[in-house]
Amino acid sequence: MMMKTELDKNVLIFLLSAIGLIVFPHVYHIPTAVFGFFCLLLAWRFAGVWKPNLLPETAVIFLLAACGIALLYSLHQGIFGRDAGTNLFITALGLKLLEIKKERDLYLVSYLAFIVAASQFLYEQSILMAAYILLVCCLLLATLVAINSCKAQTPASLKTALIITLQAIPIAVALFILFPRLEAPRWMLFNEPRQTRSGLSDTMEPGSISNLVKSYELVFRVKFAGAIPPPEQRYWRGPVLSYTDGKRWTPAAFLKPLKSPAVTGAPYQYTMLMEPQDKNWIFALDMPKGFSPPLSLNAGYQLITSDSPGKRAEYQVTSYTDYNTGPINPGEYRTATQLPGEPSDRIKQLVSRLHGFDSPPDDFIKQLLNHFRAEDFHYTLTPPVIEENPIESFLFKTRYGFCSHYASAFVYLMRVAHIPARVVTGYQGGELNPVGDFLEIRQADAHAWAEVWLENRGWVRVDPTAAIAPERIEPEINVTRQTAYGIATADKYLPLPAYNWLKHTRQLWTSVDYNWQRWVINYDNKSQSGFLSSFGINDLKAMIYWMIAVIGSITAVLCWFLLYQKPKTADKVLLIYSRFCNKLAKHGLVKNPGEGAKDFAERAKIKLPERAEAIDRITAVFIRLRYGRTATGEDLQQLKMLVGLFRA
Amino acid sequence: MQNAIDQLLDSANQVILGKPRQVRLSVCCLLARGHLLIEDIPGVGKTTLAHTLAKLLGLNYQRIQFTSDILPADIIGASVFDARNHAFKFHPGPVFNQMVLADEINRATPKAQSALLEAMEEHQVTVEGKTYQLPEPFFVIATQNPSHQIGTFPLPESQLDRFLMRIELGYPDHQAERQLLAGQSRRNLYESLPVQLPPEQLQQIQQAVSQVHASTALLDYCQAIIGFTRESSEYHCGLSPRAGLALLTAAKAWAFMDRRDAVIPEDLQAVLAAVAGHRLRAGNTDSEAIVAPILANVAVL
Repeated sequence: MMMKTELDKNVLIFLLSAIGLIVFPHVYHIPTAVFGFFCLLLAWRFAGVWKPNLLPETAVIFLLAACGIALLYSLHQGIFGRDAGTNLFITALGLKLLEIKKERDLYLVSYLAFIVAASQFLYEQSILMAAYILLVCCLLLATLVAINSCKAQTPASLKTALIITLQAIPIAVALFILFPRLEAPRWMLFNEPRQTRSGLSDTMEPGSISNLVKSYELVFRVKFAGAIPPPEQRYWRGPVLSYTDGKRWTPAAFLKPLKSPAVTGAPYQYTMLMEPQDKNWIFALDMPKGFSPPLSLNAGYQLITSDSPGKRAEYQVTSYTDYNTGPINPGEYRTATQLPGEPSDRIKQLVSRLHGFDSPPDDFIKQLLNHFRAEDFHYTLTPPVIEENPIESFLFKTRYGFCSHYASAFVYLMRVAHIPARVVTGYQGGELNPVGDFLEIRQADAHAWAEVWLENRGWVRVDPTAAIAPERIEPEINVTRQTAYGIATADKYLPLPAYNWLKHTRQLWTSVDYNWQRWVINYDNKSQSGFLSSFGINDLKAMIYWMIAVIGSITAVLCWFLLYQKPKTADKVLLIYSRFCNKLAKHGLVKNPGEGAKDFAERAKIKLPERAEAIDRITAVFIRLRYGRTATGEDLQQLKMLVGLFRA
Repeated sequence: MQNAIDQLLDSANQVILGKPRQVRLSVCCLLARGHLLIEDIPGVGKTTLAHTLAKLLGLNYQRIQFTSDILPADIIGASVFDARNHAFKFHPGPVFNQMVLADEINRATPKAQSALLEAMEEHQVTVEGKTYQLPEPFFVIATQNPSHQIGTFPLPESQLDRFLMRIELGYPDHQAERQLLAGQSRRNLYESLPVQLPPEQLQQIQQAVSQVHASTALLDYCQAIIGFTRESSEYHCGLSPRAGLALLTAAKAWAFMDRRDAVIPEDLQAVLAAVAGHRLRAGNTDSEAIVAPILANVAVL
């Protein structure tokens, strides 16, 4: 093979494109300046493919390198940490592109590009990104294949690269499972830049939730160990809002921790997989009872985590839908009956008409819910904006509202009747993904309901939205779903059956995503030791032995396939002839691939003069069979017999 | 028929000493109805080989010495005004012969070269709108000096492709050289040669050659060779479909000369250097070295 004096243009274009594709997803994380600098260098190099005299000289490269260093220094003042390291590699890759001169530089650039590709996983670990990175790495491999092969053809190189990647997958899987998982040291922990994500907030104003229900974004998934609670029990508890100024609802400034609620009935055990969030709230099924750190229960019976909520995280929780929170303490009572001011006469009249002042709380609740049902109350996603006195206007004037309107009006009226009450926000319902057998709760499931404190029963959940007559729910809201659940949640699901397949695909996808998260991303030190101990691998030493053994055997199997792969000899004649060759091979007579049967026979006869006749006859019959005009079955039998009789 | 060929080869080898392989290849080329290009330095017997073959085949024969000032009309002929008949009369040039020896073809200008090469391809000549058929059989044996010599116009690849084979003669070995020096004049020798293969028999043989069988396995191997030349980075451009046909035809003739009715891979390998060498790398005269990677890398199927 001749040394290539100049680099192949196609290889360069291929390599540069692959590098461009590798760096591209970094656009989301790295500073614009660094990305722009890299793009400039890449574009420069691309231009240099066609016009080599455009490429910078050493002095210019030196200057560019100085620029890069200055840029990095101004951004990070160092090279440690995720962002600084990634930026350093990307800048270095860009600079190295400009001085690709020899084959060696191509290798260096390729390896740098692999590192940059791997650094993408420091930012994003979704299955899509993994697939993308695998794909572009395949391209990079194809470049390396093209550099090294005499057949510099793109499809062939791509095919080889694909085969190499496929062959590497078993080893990668074995390494993934068996390689000891290391906990990242403190200084490496990612300090993610704050992103604003939509989600429930800790205050509620009329209309604040209706923005959410238009979003189909996933909030969390729940996989139940046993039975799944019925739809009407699926209330996922979020922040509890006790204080109101008549318009806004906020959590009470001060709530003492309290006793854990008494529970009865069957427990629901489940795993929650929370999507990244801003708030450290875990929306557990009402009422969470069993959980372990970093989770804790706050005074509003809401689960919170002390971990960073910015990452996907998994939690094990046990909940009971039958619970009794017991007596109320005076501070809580005060906040739960707080009113922004003296209620107006109309309100008082309404409460007294519904026997709010002269009947037990239970009856008043029933009366009030009946009032919502009987009167002309409507449920809508787009309620009219009420600026002044929202509760009163809603109750007497507009009567069009969303769950937050109903919940706040309900709680307000309860408080007017001196019944402790508060608003609870969270999510309601959730869609069962039949593929993965888990519930998906989306922003569209955001909900607000009320809680009243009743003697001997503690805090009891009341959902006033459920009281609205079904015919007065806006048609854009999926009615069948609401009547089934008995409550109203906005629905953005596509209603046409023709879109069923779309829904199916989506369910399949979320299921794949869920399992990727569960089994790949969340495969940490703990789950690894748990998983491996079920195979009897308990300590680090055993792990390493197993790793060496498994990888060794995979390598051996692959080697065996590569080395002893029989060429496809579907042809009977060739098969018999290769038997003849094998017999001669015992004498060190190996047929070269480029050697014809006749030449081989001549060679064999020199080495084995006493078998010359047999060799000649076999070769003649073989040639007749393989290349001749008229070969018969008899010839084949003859060849078989001759080869069988041949004793080398 | 093969006996006649063997006799022909024997007689030729009496004249051209120590070059049985080249003689065999040249005969093979003629049996495959191909034109032959002999490339070597002056004085190694190129012209003698051409003369000998013409004599042995009993073909009427004309030699054209190419020079830098030769004109197309000097090759194909010209119309001359006949004063008695008051009309132009076509005087056929030396190309109207069954065997034409184009000596030192690369000394002529491209214009003169192409006049001959067109005649080679079409087996006819068109002068002033009138087409004249060339005699059958029609062979051109061209000789060429290595192009690095002064005052040559190397044939371009497209024209080299018209020659079925290119062979190199090379210096004779010690024994042959001694025989040559001690023996009588080569000219006298080939002048006295009898005709071994008259044109009618030659045509029969050519017919028989085209009937030689090529099995699918052999065609696979042939295609593998062609494919390799196209994919490998060894060669600037691979073999053309015409080159592929030439390779197979030559191999058939080779198989026929070997008294076989079917082509085997060894036939392809034997003619490969002569058929493919000048098509793959025009400037290089070492055909064996040019095709060595093919023989080493393409597995016999």
